[in-house]
Amino acid sequence: MLEIKDLHVVVEEDGTEILKGVNLKVNKGEIHAIMGPNGSGKSTLAKIAAGHPEYEVTKGDILYNGESILEMDPDERAHAGIFLAFQYPVEVPGVTNTTLLRESYNTIANSRGREELDPLEFDDYIKDKLDLVQMNPDFLERSVNAGFSGGEKKRNEIFQMAVLQPKLSLLDETDSGLDIDALKIVANGINQLHGEDDAVVLITHYQRLLNYIEPDFVHVMIGGKIVKSGDKTLAYKLEEQGYDWLEAHAKVNGEAV
Amino acid sequence: MALPTQVEPSFLHRLAKHAPESGNWTAIREQSLKEINATPFPHKKIEEWRFIDLKPFTKIEFTSLDDAGTLPATDIEKFFLPESDRSRLVFINGRYNEKFSSIGGLGNGVTVGNLNSFTDNSVVEKYLNKLVDYENDVFVPYNGLMFEDGAFIHLEKEAKAEAPIQILNIYTDSKKAFVATPRMLVVAEEDSDVTIIEDHIGLSGNEYLTIPVCEVKTKQRAHIHHVRIQRDSLNALHVSRPIAYVEKNSEYHSYTINLGAKLARNEPKVIQEDEEVDFTLDGLVLIDGEQIADTHSSMDHRFSHAESHQLHKVVVNGNAHSIFNGKIFVRKDAQKIDSFQENKNLLLSKDGLVNTKPQLEIFADDVLCSHGATIGQLEPEEVFYLQSRGMTEEKAKEVLTYAFALETIENMKVESVHKLLIEEVYRYTKANSVAKVSA
Repeated sequence: MLEIKDLHVVVEEDGTEILKGVNLKVNKGEIHAIMGPNGSGKSTLAKIAAGHPEYEVTKGDILYNGESILEMDPDERAHAGIFLAFQYPVEVPGVTNTTLLRESYNTIANSRGREELDPLEFDDYIKDKLDLVQMNPDFLERSVNAGFSGGEKKRNEIFQMAVLQPKLSLLDETDSGLDIDALKIVANGINQLHGEDDAVVLITHYQRLLNYIEPDFVHVMIGGKIVKSGDKTLAYKLEEQGYDWLEAHAKVNGEAV
Repeated sequence: MALPTQVEPSFLHRLAKHAPESGNWTAIREQSLKEINATPFPHKKIEEWRFIDLKPFTKIEFTSLDDAGTLPATDIEKFFLPESDRSRLVFINGRYNEKFSSIGGLGNGVTVGNLNSFTDNSVVEKYLNKLVDYENDVFVPYNGLMFEDGAFIHLEKEAKAEAPIQILNIYTDSKKAFVATPRMLVVAEEDSDVTIIEDHIGLSGNEYLTIPVCEVKTKQRAHIHHVRIQRDSLNALHVSRPIAYVEKNSEYHSYTINLGAKLARNEPKVIQEDEEVDFTLDGLVLIDGEQIADTHSSMDHRFSHAESHQLHKVVVNGNAHSIFNGKIFVRKDAQKIDSFQENKNLLLSKDGLVNTKPQLEIFADDVLCSHGATIGQLEPEEVFYLQSRGMTEEKAKEVLTYAFALETIENMKVESVHKLLIEEVYRYTKANSVAKVSA
């Protein structure tokens, strides 16, 4: 489904290289976790896959269902089924959750050849999705993320994922800033949404989320590269030993960290 | 009755000779004429006008309203507010139009009508032209010299207007450029309550200058909600002078929406006359092309215990130019003042221009005055967020601009006005995104 090949990425403004040759392959039905210390490039990887304009690909490619998406705008990628849950969801005062979601749902439905929903049908459709993340219905009429707590913002991201039904979900530190109850709700939502036909990439600092969501693969990113991949046991090892042993490993290979 | 001119004459000075010879308001006319002849037309060297080049406007060949060849107003019913179907005054180019006006649906103690029918009214005698207070200003006396008609709104003690009052100012197409002088006097006695929707609409794209002067007196415990919508012709000049006095425990809330005119100069003033008052002077400016919108406001805190609020939001596109000068005075003995001022500017184009100058003059020591001015573009992160949810870049920018502007009109109490302004904001953002795509 997603294939990242020798990806090099710089910040457009100052040319700083963030990703220095990332390779990653994600198949349908899989859950991948990408872990790593701060500044290792995890979030950049998610953002660049979603088409963030702040970054520029200098080398390599991102293939989605076998085709390069580098020339596609973020909205075209969303139409194709790519979803990014933001680490810092943006506040949009004046636009209600319902307005945003109906607009999004219908443009995406349209581009995928599905029926658009009128406001009444849409109301019915999203009611179920609210339960999934245990959100109050009056939340729908509030402005997108405006005045939301950190936890509410993260739940709102998963709620949007539930409504938009993406094929590839990139969840950027969706677990950070959540208390244990909210973490369970979010994890449970992700588990229910995930199935045979879609893939999930979790970007996370901590192993804690992985107690609730079982990844098929765990990757460790340091200094803009994936330095180690394994199964879920790798996450346990990281929890116990930290990243030092891998950072040392990376330096041995002559990479700046 | 022209006096020898003491200053370099401008078109306004020249047009003064067309002042009505007979009729009412003789004393006001005489005083106004003296003031006009002693006051020069503004120019860039005057501090208060330094951001605007008025020269191009002084070259327009303005003529008197009677000589301008104005066309009749047609199809204006669509501007009537449903809530005000029996509380509406209509003025065409500043002159009262009885046919389109409709009054009588306001309940006891509320008087609404053409000023010209109230020349002997003691309230009119007491306040008309006595409340205006603009220094070195040629526009107010010009209005004083020329106006014949005007809106008069009077609420007796404890009177509550049962419906919002619509003051609809229509400007029609004309063969020559003209000057209109709409006039308003609002007096709300103790414990009264009224909502006023003042609307200025240009039906065509012609050149004219309108100089609305509005005097408001809010007596003890009275409440006034005053919405001012400016949708003049894109070639019009609009110079407005609304002034409000607030007495003890009264509230005056004003919201100005600036959409039209080539040059709009708005100088709202609120003056506190006693303690315990609450007033608002909010504004929303949406401009594009070659438009200039200039707000010079003044909030004068003269007594203790006042709450005041000013949110002035501006969206600038094309070569448009916005100016904001927000004066806040807190006099020496005016303690416990809580004053909020914020000017937020959204620049959508490279060639747009914003000048902003919060001006606080505080002489009391126990006050809370917060103020801020920001000029920014749409946040790329916000655009990306909406794009990642499937919206095109244009749509995302449109939604964000719309959301930025919407905050100012949330407080509209009249449903149809709220809806109307949402549509105006939507039309503005839509027009701009279309323009950008084709550019």
